[in-house]
Amino acid sequence: MNRATLAEAGFLGAAVLSASLTALILMFMLFLGFPLLRGGHFFTLLTTSWNPDKGLFGIYPMLTGTLSIVFLSLLWAFPLSLGTSALMSVIAPPVFSKFCKKTVQMLTGIPTVIYGFVGVFLLVPFIREVFASGSGMSILSASLMLSMVISPTMILIYTDAFESVPASYTAAADALGATPVQKLIYVILPYSRDGIFSGIVLSAGRAMGDTIIALMIAGNAVAVPGSVLDSARALTSHIALVIAADFDSIEFKTIFAAGLVLYAFAAFIIFIARIIGRTGMKKI
Amino acid sequence: MRARFTEIFVTSFTWVSGLLFLSAAFTVIGFLLVKGIPALSVSLLFGETAPVDVFLLRRQVLTGLFPAIAGTCLLVILAVGMATPVGLAAGIYLAEYGRGSLKNFFSLFYDILAGVPSIVIGLFGFSIAIILHRYVNDIYPCLLISALALALLVLPYLIRTTQFAMESIPSKIRLTAPALGATKLQNIVYVLFPRSLPGISSGIILAIGRCAEDTAVIMLTGVVASAGIPGSLLSAYEALPFYIYYISSQYRDAAELQTGYGAAVILLVICACLFLVAFYLKNRLIERMFYSR
Amino acid sequence: MKEIISSNIKIKTVNLSFNYGRLSVLKDISVEFPECSISAIVGPSGKGKSTFLMIFNRLWETIPGARMEGEAFIRLKNKWINIYDRSVSLPDLRRSVGTVFQTPNPLPMSIFKNISFPLKLSGVKEKQIVDKKVESALKQAFLWEEVKDRLNEDARSLSGGQQQRLCIARSLILDPEILLLDEPTSFLDAESGRIIEDLLLSIKERCTILLISHYMDQIRRIADQVETFE
Repeated sequence: MNRATLAEAGFLGAAVLSASLTALILMFMLFLGFPLLRGGHFFTLLTTSWNPDKGLFGIYPMLTGTLSIVFLSLLWAFPLSLGTSALMSVIAPPVFSKFCKKTVQMLTGIPTVIYGFVGVFLLVPFIREVFASGSGMSILSASLMLSMVISPTMILIYTDAFESVPASYTAAADALGATPVQKLIYVILPYSRDGIFSGIVLSAGRAMGDTIIALMIAGNAVAVPGSVLDSARALTSHIALVIAADFDSIEFKTIFAAGLVLYAFAAFIIFIARIIGRTGMKKI
Repeated sequence: MRARFTEIFVTSFTWVSGLLFLSAAFTVIGFLLVKGIPALSVSLLFGETAPVDVFLLRRQVLTGLFPAIAGTCLLVILAVGMATPVGLAAGIYLAEYGRGSLKNFFSLFYDILAGVPSIVIGLFGFSIAIILHRYVNDIYPCLLISALALALLVLPYLIRTTQFAMESIPSKIRLTAPALGATKLQNIVYVLFPRSLPGISSGIILAIGRCAEDTAVIMLTGVVASAGIPGSLLSAYEALPFYIYYISSQYRDAAELQTGYGAAVILLVICACLFLVAFYLKNRLIERMFYSR
Repeated sequence: MKEIISSNIKIKTVNLSFNYGRLSVLKDISVEFPECSISAIVGPSGKGKSTFLMIFNRLWETIPGARMEGEAFIRLKNKWINIYDRSVSLPDLRRSVGTVFQTPNPLPMSIFKNISFPLKLSGVKEKQIVDKKVESALKQAFLWEEVKDRLNEDARSLSGGQQQRLCIARSLILDPEILLLDEPTSFLDAESGRIIEDLLLSIKERCTILLISHYMDQIRRIADQVETFE
């Protein structure tokens, strides 16, 4: 075996190893959660409530917790991010835009746990004061903080999409007398439709996969949230909280079911992003 | 007129969003700095023990952040150390050897890996620990397990950065060495890989940042609130992000809370520095490599 | 620079200079162009011809480091306007001064939507008016017969020559008083180029045309005067 084939085998080996590990994660979830999955129990698991005293180990409340937090975070983050990137790419003067972009880039590097910490000691008391109900730990607070976490990346994805509009189109719009707003509405936005949608999808994935914000701020009550001020538990937080339970108990095995659901959602989101044509991984 | 209204509405909307976003971001950072900077001091890091004693390994730190910082550093070195060779090799494979549907196939797996929530990766690490425990009784969730899990976490980023950096090399440069008789491997080793170094190093720095800040993975794979400086790869350890999380719900008095703020500021500064290093490394390396004649 | 004194001047510059950073591209140019005529601008590459054209639509202002000194005036609706006066709105200016680029740049829309785009920008919406104006613009651009049955097809499916005529039609739909063309036939075959030359001759009564060209026979055919940049 000469050096070249050895090297190629090495590179291939690394690639195969990485891919296998991805598959291995899924298999572990399936294997370790197997007792719960057997005999169609999985679907009951997804729809029942959680009440260990009564022997109910459904992760339905956590599912709704995750979905409501993700939905709300996107609700806050999407208009904010779209507006900010439109400002940076089209409307604002170049000096301000450059400053904005640098700031946003730096913000992507801030650890999530720091947002969580500030959330607990600044946002939660604030919500508690303003709404005069509960502890302040709610899906409202969690989603507000989570939207701050996902916005910088979303803004960069959108700015990228706007800047990828071919110069011939924007030059044409300018030469024909379009104002920046008209150029944005009639040329840039329609052309960036795919990028905008994939930005939403990727940020949804990010929001769904977050553990710390939900764990620190959403309250972790195991109940289907009735209002935005209710405390709720996300699938991710559930895993973190139950990990300390007895390993052989049913309670413990539910975290693998939760892991499975999260893995499935993540894969689903990747498939959708692929169909739209981007994976957005360049925006790490 | 409707058109006029649209102009005003869109312009105001974008300005309001931008300013709202910036003020929210600055509020978060500002709040942290205002509360945290006063907490910074030598005793924050070392507690009652003198720094000299700690570095000479004469005494343990009992109430300082030093063990947590040390734990984070060790974690990062181990995790990135393990992930980098694999990630770079896989990235090179995708960029230079992969073709068509096989490349697509691998790509899909890496995208999924990148999308898997960190807590699930932590759960995976935990499961590995449990299974290993059945065979080797000494193995519990520990530094090594956490490092392995973190390596898995950042692996897709390293693969992608490497792949992207190598694929961005213009074809003129790509064909220079082969035209002179170089083999594929020689081209990679002497031309393509060195040329991709700015992008790759920047990716490694970002991976370091990701490992330093992660909380979910380490929560499930061995981090604890107080363990001192880890004695071996198989021992429990502390980490800065976990300390911050832990303190937020377990603080007993105002002084302890202050240490939380201090820890948060330190973590913020570490990540900010890493980010700046990645940024300048990328630009400086590019300058030095390609514009020095 | 030759100075032309004519009865009805449409465009005028006074001591116009232009720099990109430290590079001086235009130096102290004072020149006039008469109305309803075709003025050709010729000269070697890199002597500032395209930059000179951009003076009149102010499209250079987003280029970092670009600076202009001196003044430029155009007579719109019989009133002299200083193009660089603070009160001048850029979108309005560009609706009176049309621009056609060297490479055709149709927008990613249907032929109809491309042509009617400027109308949309200025708020003209009634279907009847829009339809009429689109037809008229396409006829002025000698393109109506070729596309009248496929107005809803994507504009990018047209040939190069057709795309360029589309861009001309698009610029003409608001009845601009001035039309700037930067080497409009450079990337076209001889026959397409000829059609466009005839087109320009036919609209010069309604429009003052500034044309950059490298083709001497084109200039001889259609230009009323020539400005040489060297």
